[in-house]
Amino acid sequence: MASAERSLSVILDDIALKIMMVEPGDLSIIGELLELADECINSDESKKQPVSVEMAQSFKSVLEQLIMGEVSDSAESYDHLGQCVSLMQEMERSGCEDESITGRFCDHLRQTGYKIDSGKFPVLVADQGAAPKDEEPDTRFLQDRELLHGFIDESVEHLESIENLILELEKNPDDPESINAVFRAFHTIKGTSALVDLDTVNQLAHRIENLLDAVRNGHRKMDSGVADMVLRVSDLLLTMIQNVKDVAEKGLEYYQRFDISVLIEQIDLVEGGGAGMEDGEEETSPTGNISLGEGEVPDFMQDPELLSGFISEAYEHLESIEVHVLELEQDSDNLDIINNIFRPFHTIKGVSGFLNLKTINTLAHTTENLLDDVRNGIRPMSTEIIDVVLDVGDRLRSMVQNISDVLEQGPEAYQPFDISDSVKMIKALQEEGDGAPDISPPPAEEQAKESSETVVEPTPSVSVTVPPPKISQPSKAAFSPKRKVKVQAEIKVNVEKLDSLVNAVGELVIMQAMVHQNPLINDIGEPKLLKDLSQLARITTELQKTAMSMRMVPIRQTFQKMTRLVRDLSKKTGKNVDLIMRGEETEIDRNMVDSIYDPLVHMMRNSVDHGIQVPEERRKNGKSEKGTVTLSAYQKGGNIVIDIQDDGDGVATEKIRTRALERGLITDNDHLTDHEVNNLIFLPGFSTVDKITDVSGRGVGMDVVKKGVEKLRGIVELNSTPGEGSQFLIRLPLTLAIIDGIIVRIGSERYIIPTVAIQESLRPKQENYNSVHSRGEALLIRDQLVPIIRLNRLFGVAADSSDPCEGIVVVVENEDRQRALLVDELLGKQEVVIKSLGGYMKDIKGLAGGTILADGRVGLILDLAGIISASEEMGMTDFPDKMGD
Amino acid sequence: MEAVEGTENVESGGGMKDLEGKYLTFTLASEEYGVGILQVREIIGVMEITAVPQTASYIKGVINLRGQIIPILELRIKFGMEPQGYDDRTCIIVVEVQQETGSVQVGMLVDSVSEVLNILEEQIEPPPVFGSTTLDTDNILGMAKIKGKVKILLNIDKVIGKEGVLSQFEEMAGQKASG
Repeated sequence: MASAERSLSVILDDIALKIMMVEPGDLSIIGELLELADECINSDESKKQPVSVEMAQSFKSVLEQLIMGEVSDSAESYDHLGQCVSLMQEMERSGCEDESITGRFCDHLRQTGYKIDSGKFPVLVADQGAAPKDEEPDTRFLQDRELLHGFIDESVEHLESIENLILELEKNPDDPESINAVFRAFHTIKGTSALVDLDTVNQLAHRIENLLDAVRNGHRKMDSGVADMVLRVSDLLLTMIQNVKDVAEKGLEYYQRFDISVLIEQIDLVEGGGAGMEDGEEETSPTGNISLGEGEVPDFMQDPELLSGFISEAYEHLESIEVHVLELEQDSDNLDIINNIFRPFHTIKGVSGFLNLKTINTLAHTTENLLDDVRNGIRPMSTEIIDVVLDVGDRLRSMVQNISDVLEQGPEAYQPFDISDSVKMIKALQEEGDGAPDISPPPAEEQAKESSETVVEPTPSVSVTVPPPKISQPSKAAFSPKRKVKVQAEIKVNVEKLDSLVNAVGELVIMQAMVHQNPLINDIGEPKLLKDLSQLARITTELQKTAMSMRMVPIRQTFQKMTRLVRDLSKKTGKNVDLIMRGEETEIDRNMVDSIYDPLVHMMRNSVDHGIQVPEERRKNGKSEKGTVTLSAYQKGGNIVIDIQDDGDGVATEKIRTRALERGLITDNDHLTDHEVNNLIFLPGFSTVDKITDVSGRGVGMDVVKKGVEKLRGIVELNSTPGEGSQFLIRLPLTLAIIDGIIVRIGSERYIIPTVAIQESLRPKQENYNSVHSRGEALLIRDQLVPIIRLNRLFGVAADSSDPCEGIVVVVENEDRQRALLVDELLGKQEVVIKSLGGYMKDIKGLAGGTILADGRVGLILDLAGIISASEEMGMTDFPDKMGD
Repeated sequence: MEAVEGTENVESGGGMKDLEGKYLTFTLASEEYGVGILQVREIIGVMEITAVPQTASYIKGVINLRGQIIPILELRIKFGMEPQGYDDRTCIIVVEVQQETGSVQVGMLVDSVSEVLNILEEQIEPPPVFGSTTLDTDNILGMAKIKGKVKILLNIDKVIGKEGVLSQFEEMAGQKASG
C-alpha cells in the first residue's frame, strides 16, 4: 500500500473505515484488510508493544479464518471486528497496556467464533488471564440473545411468583402446594440459567432449591428463617437478572459481578439450623427428587397452567429441533447445530421431568444422552442418528399433542404411547458406536437398565409388549371436569406495535363512521351498498373490540406487589396484618398498570399505617389482634372498581374537621357531612397523623392518590365507619383510549361530554329557573337546586341564545356535585378515541383531550371536574355550593 | 410581546456561519420571514380550526392532521399585528420543535408562502437593536438581505415557546366576570 512507513494510527483509521464498509461475502475488502493488518504488525510503533503486535496478529488470523470460512462471514462478526479495531485504536492512543482493553478485545474476538490460541498470543491471553475473574466478564450468556431475553422475562415472572408464594407460606407454612410451587420456580430458574450459561444465577438458584427441597421433604421446617432467606435470594436473583438485562441491552460496561458466597454460607446455616439434616449435593439434587416426590405429585395434571406453558414451549422446541436436524444433514459435523439440537431436548427433558411426564422425559433423556455423546465426540454423527432424532421429534410431538388434547377434552382423550422401540433403537445406536463387547443384551434387561437410569419406569418388566406407561392411571384418577383448561397459544408482541395497531384501528373506526355518514353515499341508496356498509361497520366494531382487549392485562401483578408491601409494612410497624385479595383476574388497560401503582401504594400504606391499629389496641377494642386489609377489584358498569378495605378504627373525622378548619380549608358555616369531611384528606398538604412515621404521613399521600386517579379519569372516594374501619373506592374507566360521549353543540363548536357523568338532559322550564343576584343561576330539578354552568361563557364562544329555556341542559355529576351544563343542542352519542392535544396544550382546565369527529374536525372532550372548579373560580355559580375547593 | 423561553437553538449560539442554509420564506402583512427548512414538516392550506378555550389569543385552536391533533398559531397575532381574514393564499406551515418532553408539531398560520431560499453567511446580519421596550428580538436569529429585500429569520423554538396555554386562568376569569 503506502510506500513510506505510515503511523500506526493512520493504519488503524484505515482499517476501521474498511471494516465499516465491508459487506458479508465481500472478500476483496478482507484482502485489503489483511494487508493493512500486516502493515500494523510490521510497523515500528507496534513493535514497541508486544500486545499491539499480538492484537494485530490475532486480528489478522481472524480475517484469515473468515476467508477460510472457519469464522462466520456475517455482519455480526464484522461488528465485533469493528469493536476490536476501535479497541486497538484506544490502545494506540493511550499508549499503555490496559488489561481491560485487551480483555474486551479477546471477548469480541471470541464472539466472532474465533478461538484464541494462548500459545500463539501469550501476552494477549496472559494479560487477560491475569485477572480473569474480576476484570473480564463472562459473556457466554450473550451468545443467544433470544434465549436470554426469554430467560429474563420468565425468571422475573418466576421471582415475582416466588415472592407471593413465600408470603403465602408465612401464613400457612405447611402448605405443600406452595412449597412445591416455590421449589419449581427456582428449579426452572436453575435449569434455564444453566442453559444460558449464567453460572452465578445457576449456583444460587441451585443452592436455594436444595434448601427448599429439604423443606418439602420434611427435613427442615418452614419458618421465617427460610422465608427470609428465600426472599433475600429472590431479591438478589432479581438484581442479577436485571444486570444481565442491562448488559444485554446497553453493553458490557454495565456488567456487574455478584458475590454470592456469603449468601450461600447463610443458606447453609439456615438449612443446618433447621433439623441438622445436611444432605449431600447429589442426594438433594432435583432429578433425584422428582422420583422421591412422586407420591405427592402423582400425575401431570397438578398444574394445568404450567402444563399448557410446557406444551406451547415444547412445540417450539420440537420445531427448532427439526429445523436444526435438517441443517445437520447438510453439515453433519457442525458442533453448533448439534448443540442447538441438544439444548431443546435438554429443556424438554427437564421440564417434562418436573411435570411428571414420564414417557416424554424418558424419550427426551435417552435422546439427549445420545446427542451428548455425539457432541463430546464419542460418536460420529450419522444418518442413522439423524433419522432417530427426527423420529423421536415426531413422537414427542404427538405425545405433546395428546397432552394438550387431554387438557382440553378430559382424560378420555389420553392415549398411551409406546416408546420402548425408540429407546431401544437409540440404545442400540449408542452401543454400536461404543463398540462395546455386550452388543446384544436381552431387550427386557436393556430396557430395565434404561429405565432405572432415567428413574422413570419403576419396574424392570417393561418390554416392547407393555403398551401403557404408568402415567395413565394416576392422571385419570386425578381428573375432575373443573380442571379442563384450554390450551391457548400465545405470542409475545412488541408494545409499540400493539399501540400503533390500536391507534390505526381507532382511525379506521373514525374513517368508517365518516364514510357511513357521508350524505352523498346515503343518497345513492343502493341496497347492496348499504348492506356492505353495515357489514363493514360490524367488522370494524369487532376489530376495535379485539384490538382493545389486546391491551387489557389482569390486575394481578399490580396486586401482588402489594403483598410484599403489606408484609414489610406490618413488620416495620409491629402490626399483624392479613392481606386478602379478590378479583385479581380483573383486566385493566395495560397503560393504566403503571399509573395505578403509586396511588395503590399510598392507599395500602394508609390502610396499614393509619387504619389498622397495633395489636394491643385492637385487643382493647375487642377485635382480633390480626388486622385485615381487603384488596379487591371488579368490573361495575363501564368502570373498574378497586376497593381497599381495612378493619381498623376508621377515619378520625373530628380530627380532620379540626385540621381543615385550622388550615382554612373549610369554615364553620360549611355544614359538611362526615363523609364530605373525610374526603377532605384528598386535598393537597393534608395530614392528620399525630406522629409522622417514616412509612407515610407527610401529608403528601392522599392528594397524590387523587391526582393519580384523576389522571386516569377515575374517581377516588373514602368511606369510613368509626370503630369498624375505612374503605377506599377507586373507580376507573375500562380503557384509556376510548370514551363513550354525548356530542353537544354550542354555537359553531362541538364538545363531547363523557356519558358516565351524565344523569339526564332536559329543556328547562321558566318556572324552574332561578337566579341569585342575577349571577348565580340554578335550576330546580326534582326538588333539587342544580347550579347552571353556561359553557359558552366558560369557553368564550357565542351561543345561539342567552335564554336557558331555549337551550338544553345536561345534568352531570362529578364527585357528588351536580351541575347543569347549558348547551344549544344535543347532536348524538358516540364512542370517541381520546387523543391528547399534544404537549403544547396539555393540562387545559376543563378539557380532557380532543377527538376526531365523524366529519374529520377536532372535537374537544370536556373534563367535568375541571369545568366545575373553573366555573367556581370564575364565580359563575356561587349558589348552593357545598364543597368549595 | 411576552418573553418566551425555548430550548436553546443550536444556531443561536454560534456566529452567522451557523445560520447559513436553506430557509422557507413567507409573508406576514408586508414583511418577509424565513424559517429553517429542516424544521418544516409540511405546508397545508387552511382548514377548519377548532377553537380551544383558555389559550393565548394567538392560538387559533387545533386541527386534525391525518389523525393527529396539532395546535395552530396565528403568527400575525403572536407578533402583535392586526389579524386579517383568510384567503386562498393563507397557509399553515407545520413545523416541528424540540421540547423537553420530545418533539412537538405546531402549525403556523401565515399570509402566504413564498419560496425556499439558500441564504449565505455574508447575506445575514445580526438582529438590529430597537428600543429596549418596543420590540423583543429574542425570536429573531438574524436578518437576511437578499436582492435589496430583508427577510427576518425566525428562531422557531423561541417563537413557539414551551406552552401556549395561559397559566393564569384567574386573569381570564377576572375578565370574564367583569365583562
